[in-house]
Amino acid sequence: MGNRLLSTIFASAALVATAGFAEAKTVIHVMHQGDPGWVKAYGDVAARFEAANPDVDIEMIYAPHDAYNEKFSAAVMAKQLPDIMELDAPFLANYVWSGYLQAVKPLIDKDLLDDMTDSNIAQGTYPIDKDLYAIGLTDSSVVLYGNKKYLEAIGARIPKSVDDAWTREEFEGYLEKLSKLEGVKWPIDTFRGYGIKTEWITYAYGPLLESAGCDLIDRKTWKASGTLDGEACVKALTMMQDWVKKGWVVPTSSGTNQFYAEGQPAALAMGGHWFYAEASAAMKDNVVVMPLPKIGDKGVSPNGTWIWGISATSENPEIAGKFLSFLLKDKDYREYAKTQSAYPGLKSFAAASPLYAEGGPLAIAFEQASKTAIARPPHPAYPTITSAFMQAVDKIFNGGDAQEALTAAAKKIDEDIEDNAGYPPFDEQQ
Amino acid sequence: MSDLVLTQPASLAIARGNGKRSLRIVQSLCILIIALVMISPLFMLLIASLKDDRFRILADMGSFRAFWVSDPTLSNYKEIAHFSGELAYGRYLFNSLVILVATVVSGLIVNSMAGFVLAWGSLRGKATLLALVVALYVIPQESIIMPLVVMMSRAGLTDTFAVQILPWVASPLYVFLFYQFFAQLPKELYEAAEMDGASAFRIYRSIYMPLSLPALATVSILMGIESWNQYLWPTLVTQTDYARPIAVAIATFFGQDSIYWDRAMAASVLMMIPVLILYLAFQRWFVSSFVGSAVKG
Repeated sequence: MGNRLLSTIFASAALVATAGFAEAKTVIHVMHQGDPGWVKAYGDVAARFEAANPDVDIEMIYAPHDAYNEKFSAAVMAKQLPDIMELDAPFLANYVWSGYLQAVKPLIDKDLLDDMTDSNIAQGTYPIDKDLYAIGLTDSSVVLYGNKKYLEAIGARIPKSVDDAWTREEFEGYLEKLSKLEGVKWPIDTFRGYGIKTEWITYAYGPLLESAGCDLIDRKTWKASGTLDGEACVKALTMMQDWVKKGWVVPTSSGTNQFYAEGQPAALAMGGHWFYAEASAAMKDNVVVMPLPKIGDKGVSPNGTWIWGISATSENPEIAGKFLSFLLKDKDYREYAKTQSAYPGLKSFAAASPLYAEGGPLAIAFEQASKTAIARPPHPAYPTITSAFMQAVDKIFNGGDAQEALTAAAKKIDEDIEDNAGYPPFDEQQ
Repeated sequence: MSDLVLTQPASLAIARGNGKRSLRIVQSLCILIIALVMISPLFMLLIASLKDDRFRILADMGSFRAFWVSDPTLSNYKEIAHFSGELAYGRYLFNSLVILVATVVSGLIVNSMAGFVLAWGSLRGKATLLALVVALYVIPQESIIMPLVVMMSRAGLTDTFAVQILPWVASPLYVFLFYQFFAQLPKELYEAAEMDGASAFRIYRSIYMPLSLPALATVSILMGIESWNQYLWPTLVTQTDYARPIAVAIATFFGQDSIYWDRAMAASVLMMIPVLILYLAFQRWFVSSFVGSAVKG
């Protein structure tokens, strides 16, 4: 009995000691999204970091992609912001303006900062103080995928670099020819199937419209009226509506795989860099990667992806920065990113990636980052800008009047900016 | 003449019999077609969970190949059957079960007690209270979800099982369901028990509860399904695999750039099974409660 009592006391003491030791650890909360592969990759890096830093405990907080903003809002309201958070690059201005993020330059290893591509720096920079608030291993782009067999059948010119991208005339001419080619059900898949709940419409269609001289908002006066509902935008969206009306575009109801689906019913696809893995797995050498077409005088392509920031409320920003540096340099994490055809945001990662390095099948996509990439409007009203714009495009694609839909969207954006007194100091950015 | 009299009704009866039979065949065919349409998504889900190539699943979806698998494999099920780590779907399934059982058991007790008091209790302002309960039912959950998050976080309940159970135990709908059921039982039952000296709790526990099996079954199934399918709430209040339910975990398969249809299908099949068991266990009373209320109505 006495022995049992003694062992109980020792066990309790050991438990208390262990609990005390556990409490002494610094806990870093990391909120992220991603599919199972990425979730595992992040988890593995966290385990390696913990092994190298026994006094730190990394707690990974997973938030589903489609409910990420809700989870983020809940964290803000409950004053439970994580130390590190993954964020979608175009929302950066809104987060910094709201005071959720802190500048990361002093917290991240210098060699990593020097390694960032221009496009990566652009997506993590807040336009007011020009400071860097987030950093990522990756970036993104959209290219034009082509079915080699079909393109050869219509005698299409295959561009070899961003500089000789198809012009509007060539692009529409090829669409017309493809629509008449046997085996082709739709000339192009623009991934309407992604719907309006993702960023796709703003991210991928925005650059085509910008190439035609349009923009979502005037980036100096920060007014949408006169720009989004201006002549250039109405013309550009009427052009896209015309493609839909002619039956050239894969409809929303047909999903997002018509380019490589059985029989390959779509001849072209305007898809993200990540689409290459799926397409090449299904179509092998029959896939051609081309730059986005030049609708007007200049070529424009999108950039921006999910990047990592450190919250302003973090009590251990140095450790958070140390973990981020560790994550972005981790060899196995980079290896996994390569298998996912991740688009490089760091020069060293680009050089080591056979897909994007010179001569690689996606080299053209990487060339766009330095020649034609333009970030989405870096303004705190971006959540409203993108939502209003996507609804307008959806209406137009479904047969609505372009002028009417764009005027309503521009009004909604301007009202949001007015309601927030111009989001100072953005109101002084003329 | 007599022949004629005799044969005419016989032929008519045969014709009528044939007509009835044809009608029955048409009816059966219609029911069969409707049943097939209703069951086809489930069948498609089951078949897809046995294919190990997500691109194949996508490519097959628009055709009859979605209902056929030439080389079935359980690899998707093996992939998701982990019990620890970030991708511990076995653990998430267990979490969901704990939340379901706790919510339903405590919900049955709390809501039935409230319904009983509203039906037979000697409360002042019972009618107002009942009106208030019904009024609460029309408030959508989404409108109070953020204040609820703040409350729960201030109570220090984030990332616990309790935070996924407590807010949903008492529900105006189920209180009202129990109230209606108890109020329909004869008044004499209560009065006789009261005359025998039974306390209100004793009457509730020993007389009314055993009589309310259909109501208990209905509430169990509805509450169970509601708790099992919760997505937004656990997304907002759970952080780690400690208490994360299967519905949130399945969302991992739907990434920004790609969807793991193969594993998502297998996880969905696993997610479906406990609810089906719950329904099968209670369906006799569940159906009788609905039929009963329709007849009584």
